[in-house]
Amino acid sequence: MNFVTAVQTLVDAGVDFVIIGGWSAILHGSSHTTNDLDLCFSRQSENLKCLAQALAAFHPRLRDLPGNLPFVWDEVTLRNGTVFTLSTDLGAIDLLAEVTGVGDFDKVKAHSELIQAFDRSVWTLDLPSLIRAKRAAGREKDLRVLPELESLLDAREPE
Amino acid sequence: MRQYHPLTPAELARAEERLCHPTPGGRIEAAQRFGIDLTLLIEQLRLTPAERVRRMHEVCQAAEQMRGAARRDRK
Repeated sequence: MNFVTAVQTLVDAGVDFVIIGGWSAILHGSSHTTNDLDLCFSRQSENLKCLAQALAAFHPRLRDLPGNLPFVWDEVTLRNGTVFTLSTDLGAIDLLAEVTGVGDFDKVKAHSELIQAFDRSVWTLDLPSLIRAKRAAGREKDLRVLPELESLLDAREPE
Repeated sequence: MRQYHPLTPAELARAEERLCHPTPGGRIEAAQRFGIDLTLLIEQLRLTPAERVRRMHEVCQAAEQMRGAARRDRK
């Protein structure tokens, strides 16, 4: 797993994306660990091309696809879907065109913060929106992290 | 869409105080009852986002090495 390299590669390639999920929680101060990198990506044509090219070197493949079935990783594939759960040489990377509880990429970007991390400037979902997304997702693993995120939000609240 | 602002020393002190002494009936106290170790949050808040990423990256790398070693031992 090397999500630092993954993020750096995407930033350097000019991909328009926002870090969501577990790594966003970590950026905001969560102590939970995560096994994957969740990203929300812009579906603009040029961005799909950049995204496809940037990740190609790390041999992305759908995690739920049987090994004997062919999978073509390119901008056309990206255009034809909104959720991609990928295994790559760098680890599991999930690409989402929209985030439950927040909306499409433009809404996600509007609720994001530019943060210095991964030795780059990266966009990540702001803490209130991350909480909203986790609550809306409603899976056990999302709900489990909510008390911690809400504590971080309350601890940071101005007086 | 905005620039992330790290906590000022005064804001960090206030956040630590809230986490060390949660308001009764508040969400921080509820999180503590839920089993969240609030001291870990204090530790995380003292770090910059870049330091949090670096630390988590090291944890991931260490976990991967352990998994690799466990796999090799099973063979």
